[in-house]
Amino acid sequence: MYALCVVGLFVSSVFGLLVPWMTREAVDAVSAARGGGPPGEGRLLRAVGLMVLFSILYAAFRFLSRRSLFVAARDVEREVRGRLFSHVVRLPIRFFHATPTGDVMSRLTNDLSAVWVFLGPGLLMLVGTVISWLLAVAFMLRISPMLTGVSLLIAPAVVYLSREYGRAFHLRHRLVQESLASMNAALQENISGIRLVKAFTLETREEERFSGECERYYRHNLAVARTSAAFHGAIGLLAGVGVALVLFLGGRAVVQGTLTLGGLVAFNAYLAMLSFPTMAMGWVINLFQRGSSAMGRINEFLRLPVEFPEGGTETAGEGKAPVEDSAGSGIGEPPLLEVRGLAFSHGGDGRGEALRGVSFSVRKGEVLGLVGPTGGGKSTLFSLLSGLFPAPPGTVFLEGIDASTIPLPELRRRFAVVSQDPFLFSDSVLENVCFGRGQTDPGAARNATGLARFLAEVEEMPNGFDTVVGERGISLSGGQKQRVTIARALCSGAPILLLDDALSAVDAETEREIFEGILPEKGERTVLFSTHRMASLSRCDRILVLADGRIVEEGTHDDLLSLRGAYFDLYSRQMLARELEESS
Amino acid sequence: MRHGPDDFFTDDRIETRGIDRRLLARLLRYVLPHRRLLAAALAALLCGTACHLAGPYLLKIVIDRHVMTGRLSGMGGWVLLYLGSLAGAMGFLYLQMYAVSILGQRVILALRREMFARMQRLPVVFFDRTPTGRLMTRLTSDVEALQELLSSGLVSTIGDVAVLAGTTAILLWMDLRLALVTFAVLPALVLFVELLKKRIREANREMRRKLARMNAFLQEHVTGVAVVKAFGMEGKSQRRFDALNGEYAAESVRLTNLYSIYFPGVEMLASIAVALLLWRGGVGLLSGAVTFGTLVAFLEYARRFYDPIKDMSDKYNILQTALASSERIFRLLDEEISPEYAESPPEPALDARPPPSPRASGSAAAVPAVEFRDVWFSYPRPAGGETAGGGEGPPVLRGVTFVLEEGRTGAIVGATGAGKTTVLSLLCRFYEIRRGKILLFGRDIREIPREELRGSLALVLQDPFLFSGTVRENVAAGGEAVGAALAAIGVERFTREWGEGLATDVGERGVRLSTGQRQMVSFARALAREPRVLLLDEATSSVDPVTEGRIQGALAGILPGRTALVVAHRLSTVLSADRIIVMHKGKVREMGTHRELLAAEGIYRRLYALQFEEGSGPGAGIPEHF
Repeated sequence: MYALCVVGLFVSSVFGLLVPWMTREAVDAVSAARGGGPPGEGRLLRAVGLMVLFSILYAAFRFLSRRSLFVAARDVEREVRGRLFSHVVRLPIRFFHATPTGDVMSRLTNDLSAVWVFLGPGLLMLVGTVISWLLAVAFMLRISPMLTGVSLLIAPAVVYLSREYGRAFHLRHRLVQESLASMNAALQENISGIRLVKAFTLETREEERFSGECERYYRHNLAVARTSAAFHGAIGLLAGVGVALVLFLGGRAVVQGTLTLGGLVAFNAYLAMLSFPTMAMGWVINLFQRGSSAMGRINEFLRLPVEFPEGGTETAGEGKAPVEDSAGSGIGEPPLLEVRGLAFSHGGDGRGEALRGVSFSVRKGEVLGLVGPTGGGKSTLFSLLSGLFPAPPGTVFLEGIDASTIPLPELRRRFAVVSQDPFLFSDSVLENVCFGRGQTDPGAARNATGLARFLAEVEEMPNGFDTVVGERGISLSGGQKQRVTIARALCSGAPILLLDDALSAVDAETEREIFEGILPEKGERTVLFSTHRMASLSRCDRILVLADGRIVEEGTHDDLLSLRGAYFDLYSRQMLARELEESS
Repeated sequence: MRHGPDDFFTDDRIETRGIDRRLLARLLRYVLPHRRLLAAALAALLCGTACHLAGPYLLKIVIDRHVMTGRLSGMGGWVLLYLGSLAGAMGFLYLQMYAVSILGQRVILALRREMFARMQRLPVVFFDRTPTGRLMTRLTSDVEALQELLSSGLVSTIGDVAVLAGTTAILLWMDLRLALVTFAVLPALVLFVELLKKRIREANREMRRKLARMNAFLQEHVTGVAVVKAFGMEGKSQRRFDALNGEYAAESVRLTNLYSIYFPGVEMLASIAVALLLWRGGVGLLSGAVTFGTLVAFLEYARRFYDPIKDMSDKYNILQTALASSERIFRLLDEEISPEYAESPPEPALDARPPPSPRASGSAAAVPAVEFRDVWFSYPRPAGGETAGGGEGPPVLRGVTFVLEEGRTGAIVGATGAGKTTVLSLLCRFYEIRRGKILLFGRDIREIPREELRGSLALVLQDPFLFSGTVRENVAAGGEAVGAALAAIGVERFTREWGEGLATDVGERGVRLSTGQRQMVSFARALAREPRVLLLDEATSSVDPVTEGRIQGALAGILPGRTALVVAHRLSTVLSADRIIVMHKGKVREMGTHRELLAAEGIYRRLYALQFEEGSGPGAGIPEHF
C-alpha cells in the first residue's frame, strides 16, 4: 500500500513539475518566432495542450496517492484504536483504580490522532517534499546550473531557520499548554468551591487569581505569535532575496543569451513550488516527534498484561456459563458456592475494608442475606466472589472447583452483580437491560424489568424501551437507576445473583415487591443479598452478619434474634428508626 | 429575545443556522475598544496587499524594459524594488497577523474575565444544575473558537477580498482580453468549490459527530469498566466499539476522498487557467498585441488570484463554529445574577447605619444573633431531562422558627433529609426563601449588603474544600486573624510534622491532606474571619482516632462562648451546645438542652438512642456519629 503511494506521489510530482516546463516551452516558442525563427503557433499550441494534459494527470495521480495514503493511515488508526480498546478493557480492575480516566482517554484519543496525523498528512508531506525536491532540482539544473546553485545557497538557511523555529515554537507552545492547564485548574477549582467563594466573599480574590492565570496564558500566546511572526518574516525576506537574485542574474543571463525567457519563467515557478514544502519541513519533523512519542505511550498500555488470555473464553454466546443441570442435589455433592478462610486486603495503603478469614457455603437456590456496618467487608466479599478482584487460590469454590482456575470471563458470567452505585450506559433502556446478554432480547428485557418493578415507568417514557437514558438522554433518579441495574442483572441469566445494597434508594415497599418478584425463581437462582432493611432480611433463608472482616453471627432471622447479639442490636435500631420515620 | 434557561443545559450543538447579525454586532462591541490595533492591522493588511499586488507589475517592467531590450543599466533598481515588494508583502502580512493575534488575545482575555466575574455572581442554584464540565467548556473551547475567528477569520477574509478585488482591477486595466481569459476558469472553479464545500462541511460535521459518539462510548466504558467486567461483556463491548470505530473511520475516509478531490482539483483548474492564459497570451505576443512582461505578470497574478478562493470554505466553517460558540458565551453572560449582588442593596447611608459592635452589645442583648421566623423553602426543581425547569421542588423547610442568642452555640440535629444543612445555606443567603424572614442581629438578611452579611459569617462545609496553595494561604483566605486562628486550632502543631509547616502546598482542592487535616485547616480558615456567627456543618465521615481526638479538642477550644450554629454529628458537640434544635422533615420539632430534651421523651430521645446508646452485641461498631 505504502509503496503504491510512493509511486503515485512520484508520478504525480513528475507531472506537476512538467507543467512549468511547458510554460518554458510556450514562452520559448513565442520568443523564437518573434526572433525570426520558425512560426510558433504549432509549438505554442502543443505546449499548452500538454500543459493541460499534465495538470489533469497530476491531479489524477495526486488524488490517487493522497487518497490511498490517507486511507491507509486511517486503517492503521482504526486498527490500533480497536486493538487498544480491546486490550484496555481486558486490563485488571486495579489498573483502572490506579490510572486516572483522563490518562486512559487521552491515549485513546489525542495520542491516536497524533499517530494518524503523522502517518497521514505528515508522511504525505515528508515523502512528497523529498520527491519534489529531488525532481525540481533536476529540472532546475537543466534550465540553469548557475541559478540553481544560487537558490540552493538559501535552502540550508531556510531549513535551519525552520528547525530552530520548530524548536522555539515547541518550547513556547508547551508554556501555552501549561498555562492553559493551570488556568483550567483554577477555573475548575473555583466552580467546585463556589459555595466557599461566596461564603467567604472571595469573589474578588478569585477574579484576581483567574485574571492572573488568563494573563499568563495571554502572554505565552503572544510569545508564540511573536516567534511565528519573526520566523515567517525572516523566511519571507530570505525567500524574497532568493527570488530577486534569480530575477537579476536570470535577467542578465537572458540578455546575454545564456538563458531563454521561458527558462527564467519556469525557474521562478519551480522556486515558488519548493518554498512552501521547505518551510514545512520543520513542522513535519515536529509531527514525527509527536507521533512517535504518542505511539510510545500507546505501546506502554499495550504491553501491560491483560487479566486473562484473549480469545477462546467467550464462546458462550448467551453470556451464560454452561451449568450442569444433570445431577439433582445428591448428598456428597459439593455446594454451589463455598468460601474457605478467605482473607484479603486492598493494596498496601491500608485503606478500604479487608476480609480476615471468612468461611461459609451456599446451596443452589438458597437466598442468603448479608448484613453489617459500613466498612465491614461486604462489598469486598462481593467483588472477590464475582472475580472482579481475583480471589487467592484455594479460597473460593464453585461446585467444588477452585474459582481461581476458572477463566475470569466465564467465572464472572456465573454471577450477576448489582453494586451500590448504579452505573448505566447512555443508551436505550432496552440495551442497558440486555447489557449482560450476548444478544438483545426484548422479551427477556420486559420480563426482567417487570421483576425489577420498573416496567410501568418504562412504558410511560416517551419511547418506552427505546428511550435513551443518561448523559445523552433523560436522567433517571437514583431509585430508577437501581431498578434498571437489577433488571440488567436478572436479564443476564446468570445463576447467582449478588445484590450489594442495591436497593438503598428504593422505598421499602418497592424493595419488598422486588424481593418477592425474585423469590419464585429461587429454585434455580441463588441470591446473595446485602441490605440494611430488616423486612427483606427476615425473608432470607440464612443471614450472615459481617463486621470487621469477619462473620460474627450466622443463622436464620429468628435464630439471630434469639441470640440477642449484633443482629438483635441492629434490629432494634431499625425498629426505632422506623418508628421515628413514621412519626411526622 | 431571551433563551429559556434550559437551553444552556441541554445543548452543546456544533451546528448553527446561518449567520446572526445581532450576534456579530455584539461581538463587535468587544473589538471596538481595541480599534487602534484593528486600524493598525487593517493598515498593515492594505500595505501588504499593495506590495503583494505590485510584485508582478514590477516583474513586467523588468522584463519589458530591460530583459527584452537588453538594457542592463537601471535593472538593478527595479529588481531591488521587486525585492522590496516581496519583503513588504511578507513583512506586512506578519505584522498584520501579529496585530490580529494581539487583538484576538486581548478580546478573549476581556471576555474570559467578564465571564468569570459574571459566573462569580450567579446564584448557587445555577451551579447546582449546571455540570462543571459544561461550564468549563464555555470558558475554554468556546472562547478559543472566538479567538480563532478573530485571528484567522475576520481580518484575513478582508485581506482575501482586497486581493481579489485588486487583482481583478489590475488585470482589467492591463489587458482586458487577457483578463477575461484569466477569469474564464473562474465560473468552473467557483462551481467546483461550492459543490464540494457543501459536502465537505457535511462530511466534516458527520465525522465530528461520529467521533464524539465514539469518545463518549470510550469514556463510559472506562468509567464503567467494572460493569463490563462484572458481566464478562468485554467481547460484546469490543464488538460495539469496533462498529463505532468503523463508522468513524468510514466517515473520515469519505472526508479524505472529498479533500483528495478538492485540493488537486483546484490546482488542476488553476493550471488550466495558466495554460489558457499562455495560449491566448502567446498568440497575442506573436501578433505583437501583448508584451512578454504583461504575460509573465498575468501568470503571477493568476496564481495570486486563485489562492484565496481555495480556502474560502474553511473560513466560512470557522465563522459558523465561532458564532455557535459566541451564542453560548452570551447566554452565560446573560444569566441573571443572584439578587444579593444587585448594584444597590437597600442599605442605609454608611454613617447612619446602626453600629452593631460585635461583642460589646450590652443594651442590645435582647436582639438575638440569629432568628428564623416561619421560614419556608424549597429547592428549585432541577432542569434536567425533558421536564421544563424553574418549578419548585417539594418543600424542604416548612415554617422553621428558632432563635439563637449571641454567645451561644446552637446544635441542629435530626435524621438525614431533615433540612439541617439547608438552614446554614439559607443564612448565608445562597438561596432565596419562599416565605418568612431570616434575621441576623435583628436585621433581615435581605437588607444587609452581601459583603457585610457574609463578612460576619464563617462557614465550615461538611466536605472540607481547600483551595490550591499553601496551608497559610488557605487560612488567610478566611480573614486577617490568621495567627490567632492557627493557635486556636493547633494547626501549626500538626503541620510541623510535614516538614514544610504552614508553607506546605495542599495540592489541588487539598488532596494532599487527609480528610481530618482538611477539616482542621477549614476550621482555622473560618476562625481567621473573626465571624460574629460561626456556621459549622460537621463532617459525617469517620476519621482515624488520633485526628478525631484533635478535631474534638479543636472544637472544644472554639465553641464555648462563641455564637455558633452547628449541624452536629458528634455526641460531644451536641452535649456542649447551649441549645439543641431538633429538626424533623423540614420542621423544628423540639428545642432545649440535652437534659431537657432527654426528659421530654420525644424525637430527640429516640434519635439519641438510635445513634449513641451502645449496642449490646460485639462488632456492631457504629461510630459515635449522629
